[in-house]
Amino acid sequence: MKSIRLFLLLSLLATITLVNFVALLHGYQSSMQKAQSLFDSRLESTARLIASANSEQAERQSIAQQQTPYSYFQIWDSGGKQLLTRSQNAPEAVTGELAEGFHEVNHASYRWRNYVYRDQHLNRWIVVAERIDIRYSLAEEVVLESLLPIVLAIPMAALIIWLAVGVGLKPLRQFADQVRHKRADDLSPIELDRVPAELTAVVGNTNALLGRLDEAFHREQRFASDAAHELRTPISVLKVHLHNLRQRLGNEDEDIALLRAGIERMGHLIEQILALYRTSPDQAAVKFEKVDMLKLAQSLIASEFVQFEQKQQQIELSGDNVEIEGNRFALETLLHNLLSNAHKYTPAGGQIHIRVRPLSGKVALTVEDSGPGIPEAQYERVFERFYRLQGDQHASGELGCGLGLTIVKHIADLHHATIKLGPSSMGQGLSVTVLFPQGEQS
Amino acid sequence: MLLNAVIIILREVLEAALIISVFLALSQLLNRNLWWMLVALVLGFGGAYVYAVNLGQVSMMAGGTGQEIVNACLHSLIFLCLLLFMISVPHQQHVSWRLLNLVTIILAVITAIVREGSEIILYINGFIGIPDLLSPVLMGGAVGAGIGLSVGVFFYYLLVNMRRSHGIWLGYLILLLIGGSMVAQAVEFMIQADYISATTPIWDSSHWISERSAVGQLLYALVGYEATPAPQQAAAYFISIGVLIAAAVISYTIRGRTP
Amino acid sequence: MKVILVCFGLILSYLPVAHAGPPVIEIEIRDHLFYPDTVPIPADTKVKLLVKNLDPTAEEFESYELNREKVIAGNSEAIIFIGPLPAGEYPFFGEFFPKTAQGKVVVE
Repeated sequence: MKSIRLFLLLSLLATITLVNFVALLHGYQSSMQKAQSLFDSRLESTARLIASANSEQAERQSIAQQQTPYSYFQIWDSGGKQLLTRSQNAPEAVTGELAEGFHEVNHASYRWRNYVYRDQHLNRWIVVAERIDIRYSLAEEVVLESLLPIVLAIPMAALIIWLAVGVGLKPLRQFADQVRHKRADDLSPIELDRVPAELTAVVGNTNALLGRLDEAFHREQRFASDAAHELRTPISVLKVHLHNLRQRLGNEDEDIALLRAGIERMGHLIEQILALYRTSPDQAAVKFEKVDMLKLAQSLIASEFVQFEQKQQQIELSGDNVEIEGNRFALETLLHNLLSNAHKYTPAGGQIHIRVRPLSGKVALTVEDSGPGIPEAQYERVFERFYRLQGDQHASGELGCGLGLTIVKHIADLHHATIKLGPSSMGQGLSVTVLFPQGEQS
Repeated sequence: MLLNAVIIILREVLEAALIISVFLALSQLLNRNLWWMLVALVLGFGGAYVYAVNLGQVSMMAGGTGQEIVNACLHSLIFLCLLLFMISVPHQQHVSWRLLNLVTIILAVITAIVREGSEIILYINGFIGIPDLLSPVLMGGAVGAGIGLSVGVFFYYLLVNMRRSHGIWLGYLILLLIGGSMVAQAVEFMIQADYISATTPIWDSSHWISERSAVGQLLYALVGYEATPAPQQAAAYFISIGVLIAAAVISYTIRGRTP
Repeated sequence: MKVILVCFGLILSYLPVAHAGPPVIEIEIRDHLFYPDTVPIPADTKVKLLVKNLDPTAEEFESYELNREKVIAGNSEAIIFIGPLPAGEYPFFGEFFPKTAQGKVVVE
């Protein structure tokens, strides 16, 4: 079914049309029948009248101007051989047959209905005829007058039904509009001007569902960030104790190195989880300011230059000074995550390019590396939480928790930016482009 | 005049509306879009006009039986379209069958409109010179068209709102009846033109349901009812329905075998 | 379309038409009336009706009893075969002007 409104309009209109017209035809038919029998009985009485008023038996001239052109009469002798008299417009021959009753005949380019009357007293035939088309048009004119308004009322009914159904369906349309235009993170209840009985359950259940969802959402967020926050302290304590242990046992113990790596990894994970919830787009009211992306990238690379140098990676920054509206901390995290991904997965001696440039009214931040890249089929999945390419057995043997790109995605969403993954222009490797809206040349 | 106009227009509109509504509903049930309807309507009325204008010439052809032959061809064409439609429905996943399916629908609708529309055009045309009769005829035409279209709308929504499988079966059933009635009418025209020799009617049911009565007219439009059919007509009716069923069944079976 | 119809007709007109035999009866349509309005034909005989429409408007010769239906354009003529029929009365009418165009075939 395409549209409820169209369905209601057409089916209601069809019902009205069918019921009205069939009733109308029925009325038409019975009133026509009534009219015809009325005309017939008039014809019959006219014949008797003529019989009683005209008793002359000899042949006479036709009687002129006595009858309307719509009717005529003949008087025949008993054998039907001799025409005793007739009205001027009557035929001179017997039309049809001389048998008592009604007959239909052709005469003078018209169809006539005649009544043949056997005058028993004077032993003769009297024929009275009326034009059929006149009889019908007389009867029809009356019926037609009553029919016209009904036929004209149908388009009017169509208009009224269309509007009425539109008004009736308004709450449903409002409901659909609100559901359609709801932002992904907007879990506030749906409110209609008035809720009709049929929609009460739908609106009620939807709002209850939205409420539960909202609650669950907040609970999850609170739990994760609280847990991460609470874990920070014991980790710091662990680090202090590890430091002390190292002082006592010396640096060379293998177990201590492993322990240290494990604690580092846990600390990193907790920092990332905290960053994830601080930057998630559902987080209300993040402070926005003008941020120069090129400058931001410059300072970030400067502070993290050592780690790139350790791996003999060439890092290159190019582009223009463009400002975007954004949250400095969040953008820093985004860039940091992209850079650290590039650093981790690009082999020693590889290349990393960062470019910032305006692109048709937007700002494009591109980070390219010469690492192994990501197969195209995985492009969607890498943004999922805790998803890592090839699980934990990544060939690079790098530590990671699978949250880096999820956080990038969150921050991009927060800034209404889009992320595009693609192959790097350096032959192999990954290219990540974040497209920020409303860039301004500074 | 009015009642007569109602009956003539209603009979023609009802037949065309029935075919169109069933095809529209089946198209929707078979998940097709409905743009073809507009094309078919325009081409159909264009064709109806051309046929109406040339009817006199056509009648004079083939020793005065041109009209019967053209009408018989039109009815046979509709039957052929129904046959190909039934055959092509089970193979909707192939592009070429799907195209054939669409072509048969469009062609059937166009042909139905040409056949029924040309009579309406000729009829209404005759009254343009007679202003006294024109208004009752137009009024009657409006009433007849209104009833015919309303029945079409009801049929359409009935089929569309039924359970999908039921809707398709009922649609098929109506197409079968239409197919049978088309072939029976084609045979009747061939008898009228004396290409098939007439014999005495196989039955006479005019005492029970007269073809003049409203019920008779409705049955004529729905199932091709005749009160006094020639044996050949009755045979053609049932054989053509049998052919349609057989074609549909065979086509389904073949699809079942070749995945 | 017109060309196609004409071509179609030309092909048809060369088809052998095997009905030279039956007697021809002429009926005229004038002022939406049939002349004659009573057509006597012999029983059990095939008859060829030649219906001439002298009106400018089209008419449809129709008879439920005879199972015949044929549109006759204005100022043209048409051929309708009827019979063989058993004795009886078979009314026919002009469907476009049924109040006036009425007649019957009387088989005797």
